Amino acid sequence: MSKPKRVGSTLPKRDATVIFNRRAALLSFIGAGVLGAILFRMGQLQATNLISREYTAAADDNRFDTRIIAPPRGVIYDRFGVVLAQTSKDYQVAVVQEDVGGNLEDVVRRVGAILGLDAEWARRATIRVRGGSRYEPQPLKEGLTWDEFNAINVRLPELPGIVAMSADVRAYPFDVVYAHPIGYVQKPTQRDIERALQDPDQGEARAMYLRNPHVRVGKAGLEASMEQALHGEAGWRKIIVNARGVEQGEDESERREPVRGSGVVLTIDHELQRTAMQSFGDQAGSAVVMDIFTGDILVMASAPTFDPNLFVNGIASEPFRVLNEDEKKPLFNKAISGGYPPGSTFKLTVGIAAKQAGVEDDWHVNCPGYFPFGGRNFHCWKRGGHGSINMHRAIRESCDVYFYQAALRAGPERIAATARELGFGVAHDVSLPNVQRGLVPDPDWWFANRHERWTAGLTVNYGIGQGSLIVTPLQLATMAARIANNGRAVVPRLVREAPGVRDPAAPPVLPDLSSEHLAAIRLGMFGVANEGGGTATRAGNMIGLMRRPDGVIVEAAAAPPGSTPVQIAGKTGTAQSRIITAAERARGVMRDADLPWRLRDHALFVSFGPYDNPRYAAAVVMEHGGHINPQLDAAPISAMIMRQAFLRDPSNRQGARLAELEAGVRA
Amino acid sequence: MTMALSSGPNTLFDRFSKLNWGIITILCALAFVGVLMHFSVSSGAWTDMPLTHGLRFAGMMAIVLVAAAFLDARFWLAIAYPLYAMALLLLVGVEVAGETRMGATRWLDLGPLSLQPSEIMKIGIVLALARYYHQLDPRKTGTVLWVIPPFLMIVAPVALVMHQPDLGTSLMILFAGVCIMFLGGLLWRIIAAGAIVAVGGAVFAYTSVLHDYQRDRVNVFLGITDDPLGAGYHVLQSKIAIGSAGLFGRGYLQGTQSQLDFLPEKHTDFIFTMIVEEFGLLGGALVLGLFGALMALTMQVALRARSLFGKLAAGGVAATLACYVFINTAMVIGLVPVVGIPLPMISFGGTAMFTLLVGYAIVLSIDLHRDQHGARGWLW
Repeated sequence: MSKPKRVGSTLPKRDATVIFNRRAALLSFIGAGVLGAILFRMGQLQATNLISREYTAAADDNRFDTRIIAPPRGVIYDRFGVVLAQTSKDYQVAVVQEDVGGNLEDVVRRVGAILGLDAEWARRATIRVRGGSRYEPQPLKEGLTWDEFNAINVRLPELPGIVAMSADVRAYPFDVVYAHPIGYVQKPTQRDIERALQDPDQGEARAMYLRNPHVRVGKAGLEASMEQALHGEAGWRKIIVNARGVEQGEDESERREPVRGSGVVLTIDHELQRTAMQSFGDQAGSAVVMDIFTGDILVMASAPTFDPNLFVNGIASEPFRVLNEDEKKPLFNKAISGGYPPGSTFKLTVGIAAKQAGVEDDWHVNCPGYFPFGGRNFHCWKRGGHGSINMHRAIRESCDVYFYQAALRAGPERIAATARELGFGVAHDVSLPNVQRGLVPDPDWWFANRHERWTAGLTVNYGIGQGSLIVTPLQLATMAARIANNGRAVVPRLVREAPGVRDPAAPPVLPDLSSEHLAAIRLGMFGVANEGGGTATRAGNMIGLMRRPDGVIVEAAAAPPGSTPVQIAGKTGTAQSRIITAAERARGVMRDADLPWRLRDHALFVSFGPYDNPRYAAAVVMEHGGHINPQLDAAPISAMIMRQAFLRDPSNRQGARLAELEAGVRA
Repeated sequence: MTMALSSGPNTLFDRFSKLNWGIITILCALAFVGVLMHFSVSSGAWTDMPLTHGLRFAGMMAIVLVAAAFLDARFWLAIAYPLYAMALLLLVGVEVAGETRMGATRWLDLGPLSLQPSEIMKIGIVLALARYYHQLDPRKTGTVLWVIPPFLMIVAPVALVMHQPDLGTSLMILFAGVCIMFLGGLLWRIIAAGAIVAVGGAVFAYTSVLHDYQRDRVNVFLGITDDPLGAGYHVLQSKIAIGSAGLFGRGYLQGTQSQLDFLPEKHTDFIFTMIVEEFGLLGGALVLGLFGALMALTMQVALRARSLFGKLAAGGVAATLACYVFINTAMVIGLVPVVGIPLPMISFGGTAMFTLLVGYAIVLSIDLHRDQHGARGWLW
């Protein structure tokens, strides 16, 4: 039985409405399921956070930022509380890039025009600023004068994005006077930051501190070596920032105020230090004055000098190049880092060593002006010779021939041992970086370093402080102090009071030095400055002071009857900075005045005083001075400083107490 | 019985009072949430943003109400194919003479009017497919031959939009089209075959059709690349905001991620994150609930419409809405890649709001005239 064929009759019958309703229900269920899954996922995120707090922490990490507050740096005082380095207000002009609106370089150039700076400055400043934050003030020029600051201020309305502000910055009120012992601070370099990051003890927190534009770190002198004590503790603010890092508010409860760095009291006497620095004029040299009992360094002068204030906000490359390439080396602390052959000042050491070897006062040497030894002639500075001479005269008149032979009697080992006892060959810890150790040679050292045997000829030269011997002005002063204090191992110090610095123990007596020997040496030194034929009588006469019966030291002219003279005792020295050739000796080209500056000899003078009751020891080196100018020689400079030291007598005056000074700073 | 309009509303009052006020209320509530959030986006100030959003919605809604009241399903049926054809032509026009903004050629500049034809297509595909199945013999629905025309109707605009490139919109057109085909009665075995082809297509798309930035997003989503500063940054910040919000949120105007700008695109694609951050899980659930209710009411309209065209059109609008809501919210919580789809009625911007409100003009008008049985040949 067949039915009529119709279109689509083979297809199953379907009701579209039924299908639609069925499938719509199915889709609705699926939709509800998706909605549920989304809700579940949200709940899951929050449940995760309930346990781990990870999202809360991440949100806080986004929103909170810590800003460092740079601590005020500790004040540096002289022994009587005179402020030598402090924190003071610095006027600056800065730019907030986000607020500039137009062309940054154009605005910077207009700032430069007000300050008298050229387009090149503006170009460099613009490059520097572009590397920094867009939303925080970026310094353009620091160290503005009050007039410059005002000139910027009145024109701020026409300078979009420019801000005039003041910041705490290190200042050195006596600028050039303490450039070497105190040094200076500078902005941390990229290397400082990298080093902090690599140091597990410092790490990110210290690096963050160093990146703060107001932070300075010690780069030279005490500022560098006492950084720990001086820099203080950074404070911080917990601020709320938006996604671009712009501050929106502060969580005051989390604020920590910075702690001012500790003060440091130096042993230096400002009046003496200033006198010493002035006395060098434009010459190169160095002076150290110390207390022979406490080791307190009252003067640490190095000339020529520079203004450390130039370094605080970054020194320009040209002035720095000039300082750095100057042949007189103004950046160099010659007092502790300058190494010189001691010349005749070393004869004191040789004399002590010879006495230990049994040389008596009546041992005489004939000086015809030269000493033939080992097939050559060793010359005396006095061409005609001293004739028959003993140790007292030999020190007084600085006879070379006597000390050639005295050195042979003592032997190099004994000379080296005595030198070390007197403080040579040691880097004295005076809380400064770059303290030179110098060099005290002996046969073992010679063999180890020069790979040949020590010769007697070397011993002969050793007798007058020439050869490979290297000493520093600080060591020369220490030697004079140890001779003056009758053989106590006094150690120089520059810091009187600071955190972690303890008062030194009484110096031990040096076992190998006999007071009898030392007294003879001191008497020889007295002769140098006060007896006829002495090499420094002119300097000795410059003192001109008397001790009144009541013990007070006054000008000789004002001294009442019964007063006793106040005198210094010393030893001159000339250190060759070149070898005098035989040809020159023959031609007679020996006068230093005829030579270029850098080839002239160094003039040295070590001294102590007052002779009858010693308290102060000094060493002065006049680089390439060559004993040309009688006013600018080592001995007269030394005498001028000593004279003032006797008058002021800083060691016998009440020094400042750090706690009291600090209380004054806080108030 | 003739093909008369059986029992449509007649008086003006009747027309408005019988509109589906449930749907209208929810749409208004969602727009109000939008105004609230744009006020917060503006850090608690009456800037242009919340005002523009509110006024834009109010203006569009007024037109929707009038359109829904005065146009019946026959109008929408009549314009279905012309609208689709016009949208397709415009898409081709974009391809030829489109304007490029932000790396994508989506806009067509017609003098004072610049429009995105892809948005018109979202409505066009729904109407055109609804009309196609409305007229098709239900028995033919199940044959392979009659699957080809709707398939081509979907593929053509999807391909054009994907090429702009606009992955989100092309996915939405695809999703709405597939939903209507499904509701229209596609056989299950064809669906199964289609699914296999789709997976293959997806792999093909990933390897050779997607643009680099789209592939990056997919890679980050799939965990192939870890890129917290690139495409992953948005989602990371969004998850931080939602995860740290708690049940009740940080409080209105208090969302730290949103207010401090750590949350990107908070006024558009990531506005749901801001809702959750400030109003908590509960606030988010409430908004999702509103959307869920809107979908349910829309499905109800579809179920009670008598004409297949009405059912499919309403179902298509519901599918489009679901597509917007699901992709957007799943995106901000890191369940799907970031494809740039806004949360309708709430995100700032008129495009999605316009598209969806046109859809609801259709839905409301279908519901108002739901008793038009709409037999085949109804129009002619």
